[in-house]
Formats: sequence, C-alpha cells, structure tokens
Amino acid sequence: MKFKADEIASVIQKEIEDFRGQIQTAEVGRVIEVGDGIARCTGLSNVMSGEMLEFPNGTRGFAFNLEENSVGVVILGDYLKIAEGDEVRSTGKLLSVPVGEALLGRMVDPLGNPLDGKGPILTSSSRPVEWLAAGVAERQPVKEPLQTGIKAIDAMTPIGRGQRELIIGDRKTGKTAVAIDTILNQKDTGVICVYVACGQRASSIAGVVEVLREHGALDYTIVVAATSADPAPLQYIGPYAGAAMAEYFMYQGKHTLIVYDDLSKQAVAYRQLSLLMRRPPGREAFPGDVFYCHSRLLERSVKLNKELGGGSMTALPIIETLEGEVSAYIPTNVISITDGQIYLEPDLFWKGIRPAINVGVSVSRVGGNAQTKAMKKVAGSLRLDLAAFRELEAFAQLGTELDKDTQAQLDRGYRMVELLKQRQFGPLHVADQVVAIYAGTKGYFDKVPVAKVAETEKELHEFIRTEHADMRDKLVAEAALTDEIEGMLKKALSAFVARLASKA
Amino acid sequence: MSDMRSISRSDSVLEDPGALAVATMYAQSYMTAAAAEGIAAPEEELNSLVDDVLAVFPEFEQLLMSDLVGRDDKLAIVDRVFAPKCSEFFANFLRVLVGHGRIEMLPQIKTVLGRLQEEAAGKKRIRVKSARSLSDASRSQIVNHLKNTFGFEPILQETVDASLLGGVVLQVGDTVYDSSLRSQLKQLKDRLVEKAFNEIQSGRDRFSHPEGD
Repeated sequence: MKFKADEIASVIQKEIEDFRGQIQTAEVGRVIEVGDGIARCTGLSNVMSGEMLEFPNGTRGFAFNLEENSVGVVILGDYLKIAEGDEVRSTGKLLSVPVGEALLGRMVDPLGNPLDGKGPILTSSSRPVEWLAAGVAERQPVKEPLQTGIKAIDAMTPIGRGQRELIIGDRKTGKTAVAIDTILNQKDTGVICVYVACGQRASSIAGVVEVLREHGALDYTIVVAATSADPAPLQYIGPYAGAAMAEYFMYQGKHTLIVYDDLSKQAVAYRQLSLLMRRPPGREAFPGDVFYCHSRLLERSVKLNKELGGGSMTALPIIETLEGEVSAYIPTNVISITDGQIYLEPDLFWKGIRPAINVGVSVSRVGGNAQTKAMKKVAGSLRLDLAAFRELEAFAQLGTELDKDTQAQLDRGYRMVELLKQRQFGPLHVADQVVAIYAGTKGYFDKVPVAKVAETEKELHEFIRTEHADMRDKLVAEAALTDEIEGMLKKALSAFVARLASKA
Repeated sequence: MSDMRSISRSDSVLEDPGALAVATMYAQSYMTAAAAEGIAAPEEELNSLVDDVLAVFPEFEQLLMSDLVGRDDKLAIVDRVFAPKCSEFFANFLRVLVGHGRIEMLPQIKTVLGRLQEEAAGKKRIRVKSARSLSDASRSQIVNHLKNTFGFEPILQETVDASLLGGVVLQVGDTVYDSSLRSQLKQLKDRLVEKAFNEIQSGRDRFSHPEGD
C-alpha cells in the first residue's frame, strides 16, 4: 500500500476547516513549594480531593491535602522540572487509568503508560483509580474455586473466586513464587490476571515477566510495575490502578485474579507521602488511615451477583514480615482485612519443604465452600492428620520406643509431607492433586522410600494420564469422587503399586 | 524579617498564603473598625506611612520591623513618632500591630486593603495575557464584555506573552478563560492525533476479527 501525500493533506485540511476552537476554561493555582515528589499550591479554590491536576510541562498530579490556604499536591512523575510560581491547572477529572483488552500481555506503569516498548496502548476506555467497592446487595457468597495448582494450598487452604487470601512470610520464603504459580495455573480457565509489582527491584519484575512469557501466561496477564526506583506516589497508586484494570473485566462478568506484590512496600510509600504532607504519624510512623488505605483496596475484591454478571476479583495481597514478626502494624492490619492467610516460614523453606507453607497457622475463612467435592473428600482430614503427625514427630525425637501403629502413622506422615512438596512453576491440575493426595492418605505410598516419593508421584501422574485417562477425564468433568470413580481410582492405584513392586 | 516585603518580589515568586490570610484578617478588621468610627478614607494614612515614610527611610523600616527591637521600644516609637502626627485611630491600629508582633506586615496589609476596597466598590482585578499589547479598541471591548458577563467593574492587569501567538487569556479569580491561538492549535493537534489513533485501532480490530465488521 502506498500513501498519497495530497490525500492525507486533504484529510487534514478538512479537519482544520471543520475545527471550531473552544474557549478553554480551567481552574488554576500556583506552586509555592515543591520537593520530594509533592507540591504545595495556592489558588485552586474549587479543587476536589483526589482530582487530577496538570503542571505546565504535562506532568500530572492529584490533590491530596486540601488545607485552609493551600492545596497539597502529589506529583506523579518528574518533579524536578516543576518550579515555584508554575501554573497548575485542574482538569475536573479524577485520576484514571486506561483499561481494556489492549492491556493484556502488556507491562505498564501505574498511570497506564507502556513500559515494555511494544508501542502505545490502543484503548479508548478508562476507569478512575479509586473506585468504591461493591455494596452488600451487589455481592454473592464465594462459592467457585480458584485453583492455585499448588497441592498444599488447594487441599488445605482453598481459595475461592472473589476471596482475599494473604500471602505472608519473611523475605526469600517463596511468597512471589506462590502467586506466580497461581497465575500460571489460570491458563485456559478464562481468569484474567493482574500482577501489581509495588516497590520491587526492577530485576525481579523483569524475571517475573520472563517467567510469565515463557509459560504463555502473559497473554492473559497485565503487569503493573512501580519499581523501588519510581517515586513514592506511583508506588502508592499502583495497587489501586491494578484494581481498576481488573475491575473493568470483573464488571463485564469475567473472573479476575490480582496479586499485590507487596502491600508492605505500598504502606511504606504511603507513609512517606503522608509524612511529607505533614499528616500526623501514628504507630511505626504510619499515618492513621493506613488501615483504610488497605481495607478500601482489598474490599474491591468481590464476587458480584448474577444481575451484575457474576464476575469476580480474587486478590492475593503479599506482606513481607521481618523475622517472622506477624504482630507488627501492617501485617496485623492486613491479616484482619483478608479472608485468611498463607503463612510461609523460612525454617520450612531451608528444610526443603517447598512451598514452605506452615499448615498450622495458614487458614482460609471462606474457601472451604468453594472446594470441589472431590478435593473436599480426600483432603477433609488432611490438616488434622498433619497436625497429629507434627506432635508425634516431636515426641518421637525423644528417642522413645514406638509401637507399630505409631511408627506406621509417622511413616505415612513423612510421606505426606514429602507428597505436598512441589517444584516451582509446576502447577498441578486439581484432578491430579486429588489422585496424589488420595494415594498418600490411603497408604499407597507407604512402601515407597521417603526420598523417592517425589519421583514416584511424577511416575504416578504419568501412569494415570497414559493408562487411566478415562478415569482422569471423568474426575475432571465431574469434579467429585463418586463411588464409581473411586472404584476406578482404587483399581488404578493398586495396579500402580503392583508395578512398583515388580520393578523393585 | 525584611524579606517579607512584597514590593520587590518577582511575579513568579509567591507570598506565603498563611501570611496573606493573616494580612487579610487585619485589613478587614481595619476597614470595619474605620467604618464603625465613621472615618471616610482609612487607607490614606496607611498608604502614606508605607509609601512616604517606610519607602523613603529604609533604615527606619528595618528598625521598626527588626526582631532586635523589643515590643516596648517599638510601642514607644509609635507613641513618640507617629501618635502626635496621625489620627488616634491609626495610632491605635499601629499599637495593636506592634502588640501582636505583626508590624512587619504593614506593606502586605496595605496591598490587601487596596484590593478589599476595590472589591467593596464592585471592581475586580482581571489578568489579561495577550500576544501583543492591546489596542484601546480591544481593551474597551474586553472591559465591556466582562462588565456585561460578570457584572463588576474590571481592572485589567495586562501582560504580553508572545508565545500565545494570538488571542487572549483572561484570569478571573482562580478561573482561566483561554482563547489563545496556542491552545487552539494544541486542541487541533490533539484532535488530529486522536483521529489517527482511532484509525489505527479500527485497523487493528479488523485484523483481530477476520470475519470483519
């Protein structure tokens, strides 16, 4: 195709002829003080809280503090180019970000500007960053499962669509890994994922994006990135911007998953802003409304009722603790807001139990309703069995002679722990999880040496998939362990055990 | 505190809004008190003090505004120097200012008082920015138009900004009415860009849905 210069010229000419300039009216003010990413302005007498403002060089900001004689403005961008005396214009609009299908597979900053060099984001719709969460009448209870693909979570702390499940733990305990595995497992389920990186190292964000791309998960994922090099205001609005992008899909009746990685850094960014704005500091120097900062964000995760399309937004906020201190300010706040938490422990991590989930203190307050029938049946007593095993294990360390039954219980416990280990980026389908946990709890692994459990489990999945695909398909379709399927499963497992014995 | 003087400030540097609020409060009280006393032109003495005395004798101004001089000494100065020469009302005003430690706000109070009196007389200052200096005809046109629209007597504060290219920009209070050529060209540019943008998007949509529209 060739462009014709005169054709283009005539189109532009027509545009110019039809153009009727309008007088632009705007409220203005002037900058009296600027620094550290914030500005204080006079004028702007009718500005609204949270309204978007524009500085002369095109940098945007929003009204954060409305004071008697001045307005405190948070600058979203380069504040070094703003000088005292500059004119600030109000736009009459709330801070909003572009939303829509065009964002899928892209990496954007919290204002929706592309960061991945794949060209502009072509979408005409936008959504305010701050949005009031759906009310009570607009919701329905959480009842559909959101499979994480991680055995230990889906079996013992199940997550439902529309739930907020906190992932909490010290640094380097695999918090992000759990979230990424969950995103990977949403492939072909129609769940749209948003990964909000807030205050993370740019290199780790690049790593996450690379993993998502490699596993083909980027096609249904939006990455919102505010690195630790970005100014605090961007880190602060990042999670809200991500939530707005997910809400767009949710209100279309789709299912979404959003990961906030991590909210402790967002709280720190918010603390910085508040202190610069001279809001009074409270506990740990956080401002008084840091709880509201997180509660209004997480409250936006809902399961909508049928009239609104039945969409959902599942949130996986991440909180980093220091030395396992969960009673610090921000962890307790977010624990109390969310519908349960997955607690990751460094001790377990270094023992090689990965994901390093502490089963005893991890809970899910609503997910149980959302578990598939099959999983509920096989995993019902798993938590209690494991707890009993932990007690026995501690007792056994005293070196006491154990009777046969207790020894058997211990042996099965060791194998269960081994069975719940899972490699990173290897989410399992819920049917495979059911098979593995069923085999473990019913003792089909009792003869397998502990060190070989992982390998044998892999062989089992292979075996089921190739030789008992009909049973697996049925389990996938019905998502329940009916007598018929259980019978088939027992037969398949006995055949597997027999084969193992013959090999040995 | 001699840097509180607003006279020599450049336009882009702003007054402290807190100080301005305090000055407004004093100016308002001064006006109300003068009206209650039946004093016809209270601004006269204030203007004369600032323009004829303080501007002419900067050392005296420094003495009056310096923190090194105590309140009692300043009160004595007011009593000895000003009280015999001015009305009792104005001398009292100065005493109040000294007593509250706000004497350094005199120039600001003077400015605010002038503005308040203009407002009381139904006048308002309008900032007019134009690409070239206004002709008398266009000036009177703007004045008449503003008078008819807003119903007050405008006082034009004109500035010339060649980067506007043409047209005028009016600022009434905090609201700016921008009909300059520069912003209209920007509007036109944005519209053309947006149109091209939509073209690209619709082109892309055609590709992504092979069954076509």
